[in-house]
Amino acid sequence: MSAGSIRVHGVSKKFRLERNRPSSIKEAILRIGKKSDADDFWVLRDIDLDIEPGSFFGLIGHNGSGKSTLLRLMAGIHRPTTGTIESEGRLSALLELGSGFHPDLTGRENVYLNGAMLGLSRKHMAASMDQIIEFSGIGEFIDEPVKIYSSGMYVRLGFAVAVNVDPELLLVDEVIAVGDEEFQRRCMSHMNKLRAGGTTIVLVSHNTQLMAELCDTLGWLDHGRLMKVGDPADVIEAYLAHVDKGDNTLTTHD
Amino acid sequence: MARSFTLSPTLSPSVRKSMSLIYHFAERESKARYKRSLLGWFWSFMNPLTTVVVYGFVFGVVYGADAPLTDNGNAENFGLYLFTGLIVWSVFTGVVNGSMGWLIGVSDLRKKIYFPTETALLGGAVANAVQTLLEAVVLIAIMIVLANISWTVVFLFVALVQVMLFGLGVGFIVSVFNARYRDTQYLIGILLNVSFFLVPIVYTQQLLDDNDVDGIIRVLLDWNPPALFVEIARDAMYFLEVPQWNRLLAATAWGVITFSIGWIYFRDQSMAISEEP
Repeated sequence: MSAGSIRVHGVSKKFRLERNRPSSIKEAILRIGKKSDADDFWVLRDIDLDIEPGSFFGLIGHNGSGKSTLLRLMAGIHRPTTGTIESEGRLSALLELGSGFHPDLTGRENVYLNGAMLGLSRKHMAASMDQIIEFSGIGEFIDEPVKIYSSGMYVRLGFAVAVNVDPELLLVDEVIAVGDEEFQRRCMSHMNKLRAGGTTIVLVSHNTQLMAELCDTLGWLDHGRLMKVGDPADVIEAYLAHVDKGDNTLTTHD
Repeated sequence: MARSFTLSPTLSPSVRKSMSLIYHFAERESKARYKRSLLGWFWSFMNPLTTVVVYGFVFGVVYGADAPLTDNGNAENFGLYLFTGLIVWSVFTGVVNGSMGWLIGVSDLRKKIYFPTETALLGGAVANAVQTLLEAVVLIAIMIVLANISWTVVFLFVALVQVMLFGLGVGFIVSVFNARYRDTQYLIGILLNVSFFLVPIVYTQQLLDDNDVDGIIRVLLDWNPPALFVEIARDAMYFLEVPQWNRLLAATAWGVITFSIGWIYFRDQSMAISEEP
């Protein structure tokens, strides 16, 4: 396997439903032997997917289709229930608001912490610090605890870190939508620059127009199943056709 | 990655990554301890010093208890007798209680980014070890002043390593339980309070002999792991004797085996922690 590739093979993911989960020891003991399959919810089923090095891959699908879960599995945050995921190369992920930030630490300390989690030395992070601060536009707030940041500042700093650590694989989940127009444009141009430099990018978004513009391959998830993978225009067409068809039956979904 | 290998030929990238995370968590734990305090580390010295003075007063003066004889008869002080035991005991409670907090402290982070969670516990343990070394320095300094010191001081550090391994092993297990059921921390708090009296810290072996405590209870009191660690430290610093080899062996076995079991269990369960709400 070469750097920047992700191979998803026969992956399914099951979560235990929150309401059925025992939260105290007493409850857990009372429940021994009463485990039922109804407690479980399959978020992803039998996903097979190869993402080639240097490609820009997009994931689309309705809310709750499993896009974010698939991204988390790729990032190594959760372990698949069945199947395997292999990825090669330094992986940087921007999965949700405040990705990997500790609220009590300052922005600067969080940058170092993130670097350590990605296996980058303090020296390396110190060298990129100015670039990160500049890119995020955080300014003097870099030395304030991130818990006082606005959601826009969170995302801007998160994105600035994620893209400035020379990732070979970059996973991005919607978040850029939180930033203002100017920041979104900067993100786009930076992602394009990374792609030009050979970084593999996986992006999740509902914005089909944006996805058609950016991605060279799209995958469409529906209720945890990968319905179609291929040319963005074709996949979007199939997805929209499905949405149109399902319009009157929307209530049965949620 | 060629770059990593040239920087550090002996360590694999994943070990280097874990090391820097452990350093980070240790630094954070140490900083958090004396955050917003003017005198900072000064308190590290004050705590054990006041312990010695207060306990020396209560047991020595108020109760008039006779502390066991030391090697050269210079340091018969109940405060010092107690302090040698407390140093070891507080590593155990500090690491076990700490582990639960350290894991909870990073669990939100772990839901958003992958990193080996055990580094948070190991980092906390490093911070605890630094704190403990400061206390050990205080104890050694007092003993030097009282001229009650010998090469057996090395066994103090042996006991500290043993208790650290044991505490981490227990900590690995209870922190996973606590991530699932928060009742665990309260249960552990109570169990630690009870087990404090299974360890000869506020009482002496002599007292057990005098009161004819024997049978299974005496075996339990003499051979439970924290008691072994405390006794070894006491031999090293107070009685200035070489600890019995069978106790040293038993203590080492408790430490290594408990740590190994805890480590394996934690590694097996740690991925599931990111899925806890």
